[in-house]
Amino acid sequence: MNRRLSTRGRRELTKPAVYAGLVVIVALLPLFFGSPYIQHMLILTFIYIIAAVSFRTIVISGQFPLAHAAFMGIGAYLAAMASKWLGLSPWITIPLSALVTAGIGMLIGYPFSRLRALYYAMGSLFFGIGVIQIIYAGGSWTGGYSGLTGIPALLPGTISKIPYYYFFLGLALVSIIALYRIEFSRIGTNLKAIAQSHVVASSVGINESGYRILAVGVGCFFVGLAGAGYTHYNMVLSCSSFNFMATLWLVMYVLIGGINSFAGPIIGTIILIIIPEFFRDLKMFSPFVTAAILGIVVYLMPQGLVSLPQMVRSRLTERRNTKKVSHAS
Amino acid sequence: MLLEINGLTKYFGGLAAVRDFDMHIDEGELLGLIGPNGAGKTTIFNLTTGIYGPTKGKIAFDGKDIVGKKSHEIARLGIGRTFQLNPLFGNFTVLQNVSTSFHLHPRSSLLDIYFNTANYRRNEAYISEQSLEILKLVGLDKVKDELAKNLPHGYQKMLGIARALAVKPKLLLLDEPIAGMNPSEIDFTLTAIRKMQQQGITILLVEHNMKILDLCERVVVIDFGQKIAEGSPKDVRENKEVIRAYFGGERVA
Ligand SMILES: Nc1ncnc2c1ncn2[C@@H]1O[C@H](COP(=O)(O)OP(=O)(O)OP(=O)(O)O)[C@@H](O)[C@H]1O
Ligand SMILES: [Mg+2]
Repeated sequence: MNRRLSTRGRRELTKPAVYAGLVVIVALLPLFFGSPYIQHMLILTFIYIIAAVSFRTIVISGQFPLAHAAFMGIGAYLAAMASKWLGLSPWITIPLSALVTAGIGMLIGYPFSRLRALYYAMGSLFFGIGVIQIIYAGGSWTGGYSGLTGIPALLPGTISKIPYYYFFLGLALVSIIALYRIEFSRIGTNLKAIAQSHVVASSVGINESGYRILAVGVGCFFVGLAGAGYTHYNMVLSCSSFNFMATLWLVMYVLIGGINSFAGPIIGTIILIIIPEFFRDLKMFSPFVTAAILGIVVYLMPQGLVSLPQMVRSRLTERRNTKKVSHAS
Repeated sequence: MLLEINGLTKYFGGLAAVRDFDMHIDEGELLGLIGPNGAGKTTIFNLTTGIYGPTKGKIAFDGKDIVGKKSHEIARLGIGRTFQLNPLFGNFTVLQNVSTSFHLHPRSSLLDIYFNTANYRRNEAYISEQSLEILKLVGLDKVKDELAKNLPHGYQKMLGIARALAVKPKLLLLDEPIAGMNPSEIDFTLTAIRKMQQQGITILLVEHNMKILDLCERVVVIDFGQKIAEGSPKDVRENKEVIRAYFGGERVA
């Protein structure tokens, strides 16, 4: 017992060091991967990590929205239109679109905060589909079916992807830290309390709908940020990047990584963006591969991939213990 | 008068769960509300705490009309409660269940929380201290780090009370606090309830077990949504209507 406590204490101390080490390694990756394609994939990974982690912030409040990619699309298209048609600088459109996306999310979240479970999921799903329809119907404003091109770049004049790499690494880090601080403060505890029993939470004075709307606002802010950043990096937008399928991919990132853990969506996004790269010739089969991965993960690690180290550790001690037992007998 | 209920009526479809019900609670009192299964006791709790609105009638707390207010607003006014089926924050530890319930006193603003200000840290330190004190009162300090869902039934019931106390209620509504407890747990709980009353908390106790009567100074009896008797435990025990409601004519033991 004592020993376990002391190792836990040591782990608490080494944690920040481990995180700092990981960040340094990620920051050095472009030195080893000079290929623009790989750098591009890593940049997309950063963007989708923001989307997946912010999705989970809504999920911990007991809501399961199926419109998260649509909100990413709202952020993306707002930024694109504000810079292309109003001439605003990307440095303004990115934070501005994130704020407006949060506002739209909260407006939609208000009536939705009364819906539960399946009703909430279905309501948000159709909202997401509606957003895509509106973008399609937007004519030359949104580019409709053919999409929007010629969007101003965030970093004009750079051909290299490396400046973008560090910009999105920074954006992902800032977002992760911001969302981590929410989850592990009284705000996050209140959200989790509401998810476990909204009746009990209300009975101790927690404003259930207020907190649920807050979670949606925060989640939409960061996914809007990711979408707007993506816009000024990609410079071309297509509606299909934000459709229902895109939302389902975000759900998969979170489920496979582990929905009950903060690191889950980060790990899930990395794995699911990188593994398919090894099977690029089989791209048409990627939904099957993903389903297979989900099946295997759920079967072996119900808590998601985050629990892999813990699972290995317990398997190892188990084996050691059975060895000891067989020695003793 | 701390709580005053007048002409309270609640229909579920065609069924009147509560009908033209009057009741009041004085400050510092320990009032019993008893009645057979399905009499409408829990419904009165739910109406008082804003889980649903009455079909008709008035509820005033501390002189203020509280009909139409939401549950969390009513908690803010100073009404704490437990639930008959006793839902908890199952995946939180015992201590977290109570500290989370300290949402109101002291209350930190969202900005204070997010930026981890000195004010927030001071509040949280105070909350940890107070939570432990409450856990001691209900005898759960030794299991404070257990997950709530892993506790035995009697402990879970006490945790429900502890959580309600964290609201720092002026009025505490307890819905069958001793149901399913073993005799020693019942003794412990009744002692704890008496202690809470001594600390100045007004308590409304729901039971359909007549044994709890002796704890109360005054008892209200409800049957089929209507008040059928009111008075001291002794009066109520000898009331013919009450005897009929409970035992179809026999004397109450
Ligand atoms: N949400 C609801 N919807 C429909 N009917 C309800 C609802 N809540 C309670 N009732 C009905 O109202 C009546 C009173 O129920 P209530 O739960 O208030 O009784 P009670 O006195 O608490 O009973 P018990 O001692 O069994 O807990 C019952 O007939 C019950 O079936
Ligand atoms: Mg009841």
